[in-house]
Amino acid sequence: MGRYILKRLVYMVLVFILLTFVLYSFYQLMPVNRAYQDAKNDVSTMKRLTEEEKKHKFDELYEMYQRKYGTDVPEVWKRYLRWLGVYPNYYGEYKGLLTGDVGYSYDHRMDVIKLVGPYIRNSFLIGLFTQIAVLGVTIPLGIKCAVKKNSRFDHGVQIFSLFGYSTPSFITYIIFIVLFCSILKIFPVSGMKTAGTNYTGMKAVLDTLWHIALPTICLIYSNLAGTTRICRASMIDALSLDCIRTARAKGLTEKSVIYSHAWRNAIIPMVSIIVGSFFATISGAMILETMFGFKGMGLLMLNAARNADYDLIMFLEVMYTFLGLFSNLVIDLTYGLVDPRVRISK
Amino acid sequence: MENKKRENIFRKLARWAVRGFMGAKYEDKWFGSKQAGGADNSRPDDSELIVSPARQIFNRFCERKVAIFAVFVVVLMLLVVFIGPYFMPKYYDAFTETTQMDLPPTMSLMSVPGEMKTDGIRTIDSYSSFTVGVSNTGKFHLWGITRLGATGLNVADIPQEVLDKKIAFAAAGQDHIIAIAEDGSFYGWGSNRFGQFARDKVVLENPNLVPVPEIVANGELDVNHIKKVTCGFQASAILMDDGTLYIWGNKQAYSNLERFAATYDEATGEYDYMTGIVDIDFTLNFVCAINQNQNSVFTGVKNMYSAVRTSLTNNKTIKMSEFLNGRKIQEIRTTSKNICLLLDDGTIGFTGDFEADIVDVPQLEADEKFVDIQSGTYHYTGITNKGNVYCFGGDHYYQTKVPTKVKNAAKVYAGSFQSYAADENGKLIDAWGLKGYIFGTDSRGADIFQRVIAGGKITMTVGIVAVIIEIILGVSLGLLAGYFGGWVDMLIMRVAEVFSSIPFLPFVLILSTLTLRWNMTVYERLYMIMAIIGVLRWPGFCYITRAQILVARESEYVTAAQSMGVKETRIAFKHILPNVISVILVDMTLAFASSLQTETTLSFLGFGVMEPQPSWGNMLTRASNATAAINFWWQWVFTAFILVLTAVCINTIGDTLRDVIDPKSSNDK
Repeated sequence: MGRYILKRLVYMVLVFILLTFVLYSFYQLMPVNRAYQDAKNDVSTMKRLTEEEKKHKFDELYEMYQRKYGTDVPEVWKRYLRWLGVYPNYYGEYKGLLTGDVGYSYDHRMDVIKLVGPYIRNSFLIGLFTQIAVLGVTIPLGIKCAVKKNSRFDHGVQIFSLFGYSTPSFITYIIFIVLFCSILKIFPVSGMKTAGTNYTGMKAVLDTLWHIALPTICLIYSNLAGTTRICRASMIDALSLDCIRTARAKGLTEKSVIYSHAWRNAIIPMVSIIVGSFFATISGAMILETMFGFKGMGLLMLNAARNADYDLIMFLEVMYTFLGLFSNLVIDLTYGLVDPRVRISK
Repeated sequence: MENKKRENIFRKLARWAVRGFMGAKYEDKWFGSKQAGGADNSRPDDSELIVSPARQIFNRFCERKVAIFAVFVVVLMLLVVFIGPYFMPKYYDAFTETTQMDLPPTMSLMSVPGEMKTDGIRTIDSYSSFTVGVSNTGKFHLWGITRLGATGLNVADIPQEVLDKKIAFAAAGQDHIIAIAEDGSFYGWGSNRFGQFARDKVVLENPNLVPVPEIVANGELDVNHIKKVTCGFQASAILMDDGTLYIWGNKQAYSNLERFAATYDEATGEYDYMTGIVDIDFTLNFVCAINQNQNSVFTGVKNMYSAVRTSLTNNKTIKMSEFLNGRKIQEIRTTSKNICLLLDDGTIGFTGDFEADIVDVPQLEADEKFVDIQSGTYHYTGITNKGNVYCFGGDHYYQTKVPTKVKNAAKVYAGSFQSYAADENGKLIDAWGLKGYIFGTDSRGADIFQRVIAGGKITMTVGIVAVIIEIILGVSLGLLAGYFGGWVDMLIMRVAEVFSSIPFLPFVLILSTLTLRWNMTVYERLYMIMAIIGVLRWPGFCYITRAQILVARESEYVTAAQSMGVKETRIAFKHILPNVISVILVDMTLAFASSLQTETTLSFLGFGVMEPQPSWGNMLTRASNATAAINFWWQWVFTAFILVLTAVCINTIGDTLRDVIDPKSSNDK
């Protein structure tokens, strides 16, 4: 097992480097020049200089900033290594991703690393909360459908989930917003807290809960359909296994047949889906966050893309890539946990 | 033998077709007895049992009624979106119409109230989506869409006095209505944001507005001497018989409005109104008038309308003075962009700008001439001394197609995109033009129904091409990996893993942002989106194909082919591929549905297909605002419904196919 994890980790690092290099190359194609921007800003604040002096000063500053940001060399790979923080810049400093220096957000006017913290926390919280709720609902539902296959209940759930996963999520959100915010007026339309209030303690918590209730319901609903379908399908497959027939022949109770024998087989194909969707929700339900004005990673990313805030985009991309790769690793490890065959062979 | 000779080539073909499509059972049933003569039993009865796997799948698919319905819907949808655009030749993406913005689904734009039909028509006027009419008995009528966008105003809130009193004149602007009763009192309602009808404090203080003249507002006009009451976009004018002009409204909508407005004489404390006007009308941006010289169009801007043409489609122009040649301009009628001049001898001429989609004036017979011309937003309706009605000018809504029923008319009226013809008693003969929109209009005034079709074409095309790219990449790489194994397999699988660990939406956003900055044309952008979706999604097909190949490779028939020395590529494409095709078919259907979703999501977020090019995704963008989603429900409900219906049907087909192809799942049915 240890060797397997190590192998996966090395592989993960390789893919990470490859992907970030591709991303960095894209980034280089963008019409962005941090050094130019900074030099221009600095020169524009200097008063009482002639045009000639300004130009001279600008050239000087531009070169200084180029060296500072490590973009004074033409080779992309050198710049990339500097960006990673494993190759020294002109002054011999290591400044980059690995040292926590990932640039400056011109849109938010602060360092990227300081900016993203609360956003990631928000996304993580709502993701975690949603995922627990989704699993709590879908697994019993899927099992029930599989056990009572072709019953009226099953058909109802099937039709519901067909519509659920055929509807693009943004349409679901529109319908929910119109229904709950505009017609029933139960939940607030957007934001994280009531505007103009300054609650503390319990009240603040309740206010936040009230605000994130609808986004959470929306997320649960849009994740429900897919997970229920997969749960039902794998449970049906598991129930048709020979071992189930044997278990029944032995006279085990139906409860123990389903939850102990069938379920353990059914969970194996579900692992990748569950873990995958967990990480997907954590890494920000971009559309949901946009529509509800929920301050998470997705909204941050979207706004960064709209406002061409390149340093921020780049860092978030790296975060997304990392989360994606990490979720793959977790999926593989969880397989080992739930499937004894994998544990033994690796 | 004798029977066989008699069978001609058509019969043979028909028999083969029956065998091919319906099975040997039906071949026997319909052709068997004749062919085999008396020996009916010569063919064994179990011939129906021998069916190819493809036929078996087809038969079992046909048993599922829901799936058949889904196929029907999807095929219908494809036909509509790909053939539909040929039936709407006047559609184009960038179409904008300010007077038709945000209209709910309706077919009432042309429905003259029954009471008005029986009473007879005195006047009809319209500028945007609602039309006002006054009957011969002086009763006021209103039809069309009366709600003014999201302002909460409704022009159907008619003042009670207007309904009670006898009305002499009524006219409608973009968002206001004015009416003058027979006793001279003046009424206005609708939006007053730009001083359309009321003299309140805000209006009087705003330097950009010309307020309603006091004499008009106080109802001191002599109704019997009013010559014309007309409304423009956010302005109105009343012209008296003696040539006095009362005009008011928004100076920002009509830059030369001030030139016509009254001047205030501080010494005497009186208003000096413009006089000597023979006719007045509004284009979209200019007030146009005829002064008493009657030899030019007076706008206050020099030489604006000095070139005249006699045909709408012919670009040849002549100077105003040459065209007039001593004759005088009797009346002017304006559409949004151009002006029709009616001379004292019945000849007509045009001046202004002319759009492309335009119908020319018909050639009249020698003794026939126009006696009256009315103008809509783009079209003109003319009536001749013989009672014939002709329509010409802008034809985007087919508003110039006069019904054959209209004969011996005495009077014509023009709404914004409609025309009405009445006989000498004022009874309505017929109305024609724009009836309404079944799906309503969007924020730019375009017909949503047409945009749904045009957008569907783009969405479907993007979906289909993306899936084709996915399949070509995924299946061929999966075939290579599965068949050759070893280092090829290793390499391809690693590449596939890298691709599948790319975070999809964020990555697409980046690529899309990049392409935005590269100044691509709309079509290049469309190809880019197809390629992005296709290239990022291929690993799915690759894994499936590879897994199927691994199973098929171990089977006996492949071993047999190998031992016979069949070339490797031939084995891969001729022996193995057909076996994996059914599985690919299922996934293709599901991938199509998901790429539809991806495209619409991207476009919805503003990173896919860009306005004004329609797609089912970007047509829903406005609904992300809760208030707009409620106020303009028709702008997303229909599109969303069609999108969801299509996706549901495609997924149903995919699911059913999976069910009928998988022998295991059918066993436990």
